[in-house]
Amino acid sequence: MKGKAIIFFGILLMISAIVIFDLSIRQSNVSASVVTADVADVVPTTMLESEVFSLQDLAYEFKELESIGSEKTLADYYKNRAYDGAPPRIPHPLLNEKGIGGKSCLQCHSNGGYVDRFKAFAPITPHPDFLNCNQCHVPKKTNNLFVASDFKRSAPKHIGSGVLDGSPPPIPHDFQVRGSCLSCHGAPSAAKEIRVNHPERVNCLQCHAPTNNRQITWERKSTEEEGGME
Amino acid sequence: MPIKSYIIIPQLDQKQSLMDDIAKMEGCEVHPAENKEVLVLVTDVETESEDKLLISQIESNKNIKHISLVSGYE
Amino acid sequence: MNEQIEDKDLSRRQFLRMAARASAIATAAVMFPGIVFAEEQERMIEKLGAIDVKWTKTPCRFCGVGCGLKVGISDGKAVAVKGDPNSSVNKGLCCVKGYHSILALYGNDRLTKPLIRKNGKLVESTMEEALDLVASKLRNTIAESGKDSVSIYGSGQWTIPDGYVASKLFKGAIGTNNVEANARLCMASAVTGFLSSFGLDEPMGCYEDIDHADVFVLWGNNMAEMHPVLFSRILDNRLKRSVKIIDLATRTTRTSHAADKSILFNPQTDLAIANAICYEIVKNRWVNTSFVEKHCVLKEGKTNIGYGLEENFQFNDEAKSIDFETYETFLEDYSPEKVAAYSGVSAKDIKYLASLYGNPNNKVMSLWCMGPNQHTRGTWINNLIYNIHLLTGKISTPGNSPFSLTGQPSACGTVREVGTLTHKLPHGVVMNEKDREMAAEIWKVPVENIPSKPTHHTVSMFRALDRGDIRFMWIQVTNPMVTMPHLNRYRNGAKKDDRFIVVSDVYPTPTTDIADVVLPSAMWIEREGMYGNSERRTQHFNQLLQPPGEAMSDTWQLIEVARRLGFKEQFPWDESTHIEEIWKEYSRFHVGKKHGMAPYEVLKSQAGAQWPYVEGKETKWRYHGKYDPACKGDTFDFYGKPDGKAWIWARPYEPAPEIPDSDYPFWLCTGRVLEHWHTGSMTRRVPILHQAVPKSYVELNPEDAKRLDIRNGDQVKLISRRGEIVMDASVDQRGKPVSGHVFVPFFDESYLINELTLDAYCPISKQPDYKKCAVRIEKI
Repeated sequence: MKGKAIIFFGILLMISAIVIFDLSIRQSNVSASVVTADVADVVPTTMLESEVFSLQDLAYEFKELESIGSEKTLADYYKNRAYDGAPPRIPHPLLNEKGIGGKSCLQCHSNGGYVDRFKAFAPITPHPDFLNCNQCHVPKKTNNLFVASDFKRSAPKHIGSGVLDGSPPPIPHDFQVRGSCLSCHGAPSAAKEIRVNHPERVNCLQCHAPTNNRQITWERKSTEEEGGME
Repeated sequence: MPIKSYIIIPQLDQKQSLMDDIAKMEGCEVHPAENKEVLVLVTDVETESEDKLLISQIESNKNIKHISLVSGYE
Repeated sequence: MNEQIEDKDLSRRQFLRMAARASAIATAAVMFPGIVFAEEQERMIEKLGAIDVKWTKTPCRFCGVGCGLKVGISDGKAVAVKGDPNSSVNKGLCCVKGYHSILALYGNDRLTKPLIRKNGKLVESTMEEALDLVASKLRNTIAESGKDSVSIYGSGQWTIPDGYVASKLFKGAIGTNNVEANARLCMASAVTGFLSSFGLDEPMGCYEDIDHADVFVLWGNNMAEMHPVLFSRILDNRLKRSVKIIDLATRTTRTSHAADKSILFNPQTDLAIANAICYEIVKNRWVNTSFVEKHCVLKEGKTNIGYGLEENFQFNDEAKSIDFETYETFLEDYSPEKVAAYSGVSAKDIKYLASLYGNPNNKVMSLWCMGPNQHTRGTWINNLIYNIHLLTGKISTPGNSPFSLTGQPSACGTVREVGTLTHKLPHGVVMNEKDREMAAEIWKVPVENIPSKPTHHTVSMFRALDRGDIRFMWIQVTNPMVTMPHLNRYRNGAKKDDRFIVVSDVYPTPTTDIADVVLPSAMWIEREGMYGNSERRTQHFNQLLQPPGEAMSDTWQLIEVARRLGFKEQFPWDESTHIEEIWKEYSRFHVGKKHGMAPYEVLKSQAGAQWPYVEGKETKWRYHGKYDPACKGDTFDFYGKPDGKAWIWARPYEPAPEIPDSDYPFWLCTGRVLEHWHTGSMTRRVPILHQAVPKSYVELNPEDAKRLDIRNGDQVKLISRRGEIVMDASVDQRGKPVSGHVFVPFFDESYLINELTLDAYCPISKQPDYKKCAVRIEKI
């Protein structure tokens, strides 16, 4: 179908538009500069551009592991947290109740790998710089509740909602505390539905646009916006 | 029936007047960004020649600093 | 997706147009992050399958750190939380309690209707009837037994308007100083410490000090669990620029494991260690002489000051000036070698600590919370930590910061700033005529209404309830039937026949169990309000949700009762704007460079503002002319004291009132765990938090456990002179007490550890010591 082919071409165009557009801005007499927004000074926890590329050393390894990977589903993923975006619970017994970061959790969760004891790949943390893991992640010691809860979780986000058939799906979540794409979407521990088949293309934002992007910490400002240079 | 979309950066402080100009042209649909000096333009005309004419008209507007094609269907 | 759109009967052409527009908008989003395409984008996102969630800022409901949250509201319910990246407090990161805070709103047993005790049983009623009853009981009790027979007891969980209205009603309108708050059990020593050393309450520094300091000394402060967000900020600094963390504590905790050095000391000897540090600083000539000469004076107070265990115990400190030689002579008793003999800390470690403070190149931050505050010499140990910073001049500048942390979201904002304590007024103290006049004028009451004498501090107030001197008590947003030390005594007192107890809360608790009237409260973001955190930051939150059933904010409950008592003129506000009106009235108390508060509009628009808020600017560091516009000159000015000088206090070591002996050989220390907050009435209703720590336990040292043949999980009995309790043993789990010590978290209402604790308190601050009493252990 001719139409579709052209739409695909359109997507290509869309990507190149970013590049061309950027170049054309640079070539004109208005210099573009990547400036750090005020927020960036106080926000170590939201995504930084560099975080997108974290774990890229492991990307080819992830690619090779593509066929084995875990059997974890998105349903398992959501079951382990109170709402979409909540810190997940620790689903296994703690090796050590006292430990902090490097000496305990990060042994397995910084680079992942297969753990025979749990017959699973260890999920990789998207924020290895936060060492006080138990600040947010806690284990489950009982199935009982103190009092039943009336909290209603809302439906999880849809996935794969590309605008066009075959177009790259946009990113439905923000990047706070989860700026490293590959840790949840590339590693073999990722849930099946959200695991990509192309972890080696590490520049994720090239094709996947954020839909809820108000948390990104940098913005492009032309000098004109700042008061004009001419 | 060519349908195309563009991103436009207007000249300083000309976002509104540029929007008004383009909105008057047949086959144009403008969507301003709320918080940035950026417009998204969708053109929808019957023939290729109309399309060429329309885009040359738009490009001649002095209030445009940059215009760039994003996607197209012909 | 294609099918979905075609289902909606979009023509092919419309579809193509939409697709073209969508790709342009998506491209723009990549190039101009943060770009918003009004309703167009919203509509598209909807089509893309995202849920319609509205995010609004609020401070966290729990601890005194005061993290900024963004709460996601969808369809009238709170559905998600993220850290607010615009908040300088937490910069977008929360702890597990904050992330799950919204679940605390949705416990299945929320109080939605008022309850009135009829024939011994609490039965459902209407708000109208319940408020009428509260007002008539108040009026009758005052008529029968006098103004001082009625009282209100709140907490640092009161919003600022709650506390303000409570103080205005009781102190101004009714005319009794029987106003107290749970913060007395939590922050009082910090207050008296600040007042005696600097003349004004609350820290000079702020959280930003963490990003400047080179050394962090944690005085009895398990920050990794109790203030995890700030602790992570310290760890983050250590990753980036190698700072040092010293954990000075009586128990090995997660904080000790994370610290560069863990130093364990015997309970109560922190007094001696602080003096030994000063001894070393003086001996090694590390004293910042010019600072001390220009900006400090030396004082001594009374000694052998008692422990407040006697009924009607009274104490007033007296300050006498001393010279530096006298202070040096005083320090003679605290050489590291002498102190090592009874503190359990080696002379080498004391000298190391002193050298960290003494090194002129180090910026040092001391942090503490309940360790030094819940202490029978709480005021003294607060003074002594300030001494170290004053002797070395390490204060009031970025990174040089003695920092007293708080435990409740508005301990500072409400209890300390509004002044919901018996001796306090929103500005100044009841003893001061000018302060009373100011309050009377703003409150529109006759000045004679406000009594010039303080009445009861918290422990004394509950003793008065037991005796019958107080017959009516209104308890809001706290749970004293779990938190009072020597609990049996005060519970029995509160249950006596002719006592009338009103409790405003959101869930049933052991305190609502003893109530005659229970009023259902609107919680947190179910109403509008403000909290004030530990770094002088006032944070506003909007009403984002409808309260369940007839639940009503504590502020409005008080206003309703005040009006029923005839105080319509003093409580005239309209329900839709009352918070704004109250804020504007309250701010008048703090006008000026020393305590100016940010305007309502500013608080509404940003993630908090630090006072003194002067000419549109927040003050990060007080008492230094470079940062604080209230200072005279461009250097230090401790303007809380008339001569602008801070006080260095000679405060000795004195032992604890109850020390382990052969009958009760173990020290008992109580405290919190990361997952639960205060008495757990909220956090235990959050599934993930309850399931992480389902019940309380007693932590034992592994060697003691072995000797007593106790294994992890075994049931043991703890017995003190006041009560006993059976609970699970926890051996070498999260925390490890020193041999001869045990530790019990107090969050669990099924294991009331406060039936064992001692109601001894600091004679200056009147704050009880929950960290030290003697117990015996028996295996079951």
